Amino acid sequence: MTTPVDRSPLRARLSVRVIVLLGLLWTLVPLVWMALSSFKSDTDVTSPEPQVFFEPTLDNYAKLFSGANNLGPYILHSVFAAGISSVLAVVLGALAGYGLAGTRFRGKKHVAFWIISTRMAPIAVVVLPLFLLFRGAGLIDSIPGLVLAYLTFNLPFAIWLMSAFFAEIPPSVEESALVAGCTRWQAFRHVVLPLTKAGLVTTFVLCLVFSWNDYAFALVFSGPDSQTLPIAADQLVTQTGIDWGQLTAIGTIVVLPMIVAGLAVRRWLVTGLTLGAVTGE
Amino acid sequence: MKKLGFHGRMMTPGMLLLAALSFIPLFTVIAMSFSRVRLLGGVSFEWVGLEYWIRFFTDLDLGLQWLRTLAFFVLTVGLEMGLGIVFALCLWKLARGRNTVLSLFLLPMFVAPVIVGLLGRFLTDSTFGLYAWVFRLLGYEEDILGSGTSAFVAVVAMDVWQWTPLIALITLAGLTSVPLSVREAAALDGASGWQNLRHIILPSISSVLLVALLIRSMDAIRYFDIISVTTNGGPADATKVVPIRLYETAFRFFDLGYAAVIGLVMLVVSIIIARTFVRLLDKKGLAR
Repeated sequence: MTTPVDRSPLRARLSVRVIVLLGLLWTLVPLVWMALSSFKSDTDVTSPEPQVFFEPTLDNYAKLFSGANNLGPYILHSVFAAGISSVLAVVLGALAGYGLAGTRFRGKKHVAFWIISTRMAPIAVVVLPLFLLFRGAGLIDSIPGLVLAYLTFNLPFAIWLMSAFFAEIPPSVEESALVAGCTRWQAFRHVVLPLTKAGLVTTFVLCLVFSWNDYAFALVFSGPDSQTLPIAADQLVTQTGIDWGQLTAIGTIVVLPMIVAGLAVRRWLVTGLTLGAVTGE
Repeated sequence: MKKLGFHGRMMTPGMLLLAALSFIPLFTVIAMSFSRVRLLGGVSFEWVGLEYWIRFFTDLDLGLQWLRTLAFFVLTVGLEMGLGIVFALCLWKLARGRNTVLSLFLLPMFVAPVIVGLLGRFLTDSTFGLYAWVFRLLGYEEDILGSGTSAFVAVVAMDVWQWTPLIALITLAGLTSVPLSVREAAALDGASGWQNLRHIILPSISSVLLVALLIRSMDAIRYFDIISVTTNGGPADATKVVPIRLYETAFRFFDLGYAAVIGLVMLVVSIIIARTFVRLLDKKGLAR
C-alpha cells in the first residue's frame, strides 16, 4: 500500500480524525450497546436512563438456553442449513467457476450474465414459486428445503466468485502440470485448486454469512423443525412480549461468529462483494 | 458428454442445479401470474388470463408503494455513496491505524439485517432506548417508529448504517490503486487539494464507484428484512415498499397470483438495472 507523506495542513489532518471518530461512533455504538445490554439485568436494560455502569450478569444467556424456548435447536438448524448450503455452493461453484474461467464459447457473456442475474433477482420472486414447489415436494419446514433455498443465492455467487479467482491463475501453471503427465482432473485437483485456497475460503465465508443472516427465506420455508436463529430472534418479539435482555443476548450470539468470519477474509472482501468486478488492492 | 470437453463437464453439475433453481421457479411464477392459485387440498392453478395484470395497472396503492420504494432507493443509496466516499477519503488520508479503523468500520456488514432491525427498535424505544434518550435530551419527545416521517427516516438510517461500510471499502480499494505518480504530478502542477480530488482522484475511481453504486442499487430495490421487523410497512403505510407489499399479498392474503405479477415486475426492474451494470462495466473494460 502506498501512502504518500501527508503534507496537508494540521487543520485538514484534524478534520480527517474528527470524521473518522464520528464514523466509528456511529458504527460501533449500537453494537457495543447491544453487547453491553446482553449482560444487564432486566431492570438495567429497561431503565429510562441509560446504564453504563452495572452489575454484569449471565442471566439473559442462561434464560436463552433453558426452558421451553431453548435456543439449542435453532443454533443447530442455522449451522446445518447455512453450513451445508455453503459447502455445496463452494464445491459446485469451484467446479463450474473453473469451467467458466477456462472455456471460450459463443454466448459465454450471456451465460455469465444469466448466472449473476439469478443472484440479483428479488428474493420475493424466488420465494413465491419455491413456496408452491416445496409444498408439493414436502420440503417446507425441513433443513434440505432451506439448503436448496439458500443455494438459489449462494450458488450463482460462488460460481461467479470462483471463476474470478480461477481467472487469476496463469494457464501456464495448468499446462506444465499436463506436460508433467497429470490427467486434466489431477492437474485441477492437485495443482490449480490448491492455488485458489484463498478464493475457496472467501467464497465459503461469504456464502455462510449470507445464509446465516437470511430472514426472508427462513420466514417462509421454516417451521418448528427447521427454524433458524434470525427467526428465533424475531419470535422473541412476537410471542412473549419483548424481552430485550434476551433479545440483545441472541443478537450477540447471531452476530459474533459472522463478524469473526467476515474479518478473517477482509483482504478478499472487495473481490467477493463486488463479484470480482473491481480489482482492488 | 465427450463433446462438452473438460471445462464443460466441470460446469455441468453446478449449471444444471442453477438452471433448475432458476428456470423452474421462473416458469412457475409466470404461470402463477395468469392463475388463481389454490392451496387447499394440494396446489392447483385456475387460469384467469390477464386479470391480475390488468389489476396491476390500475392499482393506485401499488403505484404509491413504487414511489416510496424509489424515494427510499434515492435516499439510502445517495446517503451511502456520499458518506462512504467521504469516509473512504478520510481513511485513505489516515496514515496510521487505517487497517484497524477499517476493520471496526466494516462490522455492520456482517450483522444479520433482522438483528439490525431489532436493534434499531431497541435503540429507539420511547421509554428506554439509548437513541430515544439522546433525542429527548435534544428536545425531541416523539416515538420515533410511531410516526410516519420519523419511521421512514429511521429505516433509511438503519440501511445506511449497515451498508455505508461496503461503499467505503470498495472506494478505498479504488483509491489505493490510483497510481502515486498521477497524484504527485497533479500536486506539482499546483492543483489544490480540492481540485486534485475533483479532477484527478474522483475521475480515476469512477468505474469503481459505479460498481459500488449498482451493487447497492440491486439490494435497495428488494430491501425487506429490516422494514419487516421494525415497522412492517407502517405506521399508516409510511414505510410500505414494494417487497413488503409483495410479501403481504402472498403470505398474509394468499393472493398468490397478484403477488406473482408484482414479483415479475420487480424482476424486470432489477434485470434492467443489472443490464446497465454490465453494459457500463463492459465499456470500462472491467467485467470479466
